[in-house]
Amino acid sequence: MADSTHESGHSHHIVSNKVLNWTFLQLFIAMLATIAAARLPFDGPKFFPGMTGFFNQFQNMWWLTNLIALGIAIFKAVQVIKYFMGVKYASNLAKLYCVGGFFGFSMLFILFWDYVGRPYEPVQGWERMPETAFPRDRIEVKEEPAGHASETPVGESSH
Amino acid sequence: MAANTTVDPNAPVVYEQYEDIDQQQETYIVGMWAFLVTEVMMFGALFLIYALYRWKFHGEFFIYHEELSWQWGGLNTMNLLLSSFFMAKAVQAAQLKKTKVQMAFLGLTIVCALIFLGIKAIEWIPKFQHNLVPTDSFHWPPHEPHGSGGGSPEHARVFYSLYFIMTGLHGVHVLLGALVIGILMFLIKTKNKVITDYIPTEMVGLYWHFVDLVWIFLYPLFYLIPK
Repeated sequence: MADSTHESGHSHHIVSNKVLNWTFLQLFIAMLATIAAARLPFDGPKFFPGMTGFFNQFQNMWWLTNLIALGIAIFKAVQVIKYFMGVKYASNLAKLYCVGGFFGFSMLFILFWDYVGRPYEPVQGWERMPETAFPRDRIEVKEEPAGHASETPVGESSH
Repeated sequence: MAANTTVDPNAPVVYEQYEDIDQQQETYIVGMWAFLVTEVMMFGALFLIYALYRWKFHGEFFIYHEELSWQWGGLNTMNLLLSSFFMAKAVQAAQLKKTKVQMAFLGLTIVCALIFLGIKAIEWIPKFQHNLVPTDSFHWPPHEPHGSGGGSPEHARVFYSLYFIMTGLHGVHVLLGALVIGILMFLIKTKNKVITDYIPTEMVGLYWHFVDLVWIFLYPLFYLIPK
C-alpha cells in the first residue's frame, strides 16, 4: 500500500488520505474496545442477560481489565504518533527525540521501588508515624501499652 | 548553499544557518519534539502520582469514579480523536498547498476544541455545585451519589484533586491549542511572511496531537475504572 506521496521538489512525506482515514477508523474502534473492556467483564450480565456465568469468572480479575485498557490506550497513542504526528516518516533525529521522551517518562516509574519497599524499611520507631504520602500499612506493629508508643515523636526511635 | 539563490518565488525561504530546506525543516520538527518531551515529563509526573494512589486505593477509586460520566467522557474522546483527524488533514492540505481546504480543517479543529471545553463545563459545573471540588467546602459523600457513595472523604479528596488537576491542566492545553490554531489561521489569512510553507501548521499539529494523546490516557484512567 502506498501510504505516502512525495511532493515534487521536496523530500517530506505527505500522508495519504487512505492512511489517515484508516488510522482514524482504528482509533474509533479502539475507543469502543476500551469502553467494552472496562465494563463488560464486571457489568457484563447487565448488558448480556444469560451470560452471568461466563462473566462471573472474571470477577476478581480487575488487573486484567486495567492491563487491557492500558494496552489499548498505548496502541491508540502509537497510531497517533506514527501516522497523525508523522513520526513514521520523520527523520531519525526526530524519532530519537520521540522515543527518548517516552522512555524518559517510563523511567519515572523507577520511583515505585520506594513505595514498594517502604513498608519494609528497617528503621525502628517509624512504624507508628502518622500516614504521610503513602500509608505504611504492611508493617506488623506489636501491641504495646496504651499511651506509650502511639505518641512517639516524629524522627525519634521508640526505644 | 541554497540561501538567497532561490528562483522560485513560492519556494520556502532557507535561512542562512541551514544547509538546505530539508535541514531547516528537520530542525523545526526536532525543536517541536524537544518541547513536547518537556510536556511528556510534566504530565508524566502527574500520571506517576495517579498510578501510586490508584494502586493504593484501587477499590475506593472505583467508588469515586462513579460520580463521573463515562458517556460524556467517551463523547469527548470521540470529539478529540476527530479533531486530531481534522488536524492531520489540515497538515496534509498545507503540504499540498490547498489553502482553502487547510483553513476549513483548521476551523473544524477549533470547533472540536470548543465542543470539548463545552462538554468539560457540563461535567465540571455540577461538581462545583455538589462540593466535589477539593477546597475547604469539599464534601463526601455527595448528597445524591450516582454510585454507592462509600469510601472515605480523605481518599475521595485525593481522587478529585487528581481529577481536577489533570483534566484541568489538559483543558488549559486544549484552550491554548484552540488559541494557537486561531492565530495560525489569522496569519495564513493575512498572508503573513512567517508562513512560508507547511511547517507552522505541522508544528501546531504536533502540539494538538499531543493534547489528544494525553486525553487517550486520561479517559480510561478516570472514567473507566473497573470494579
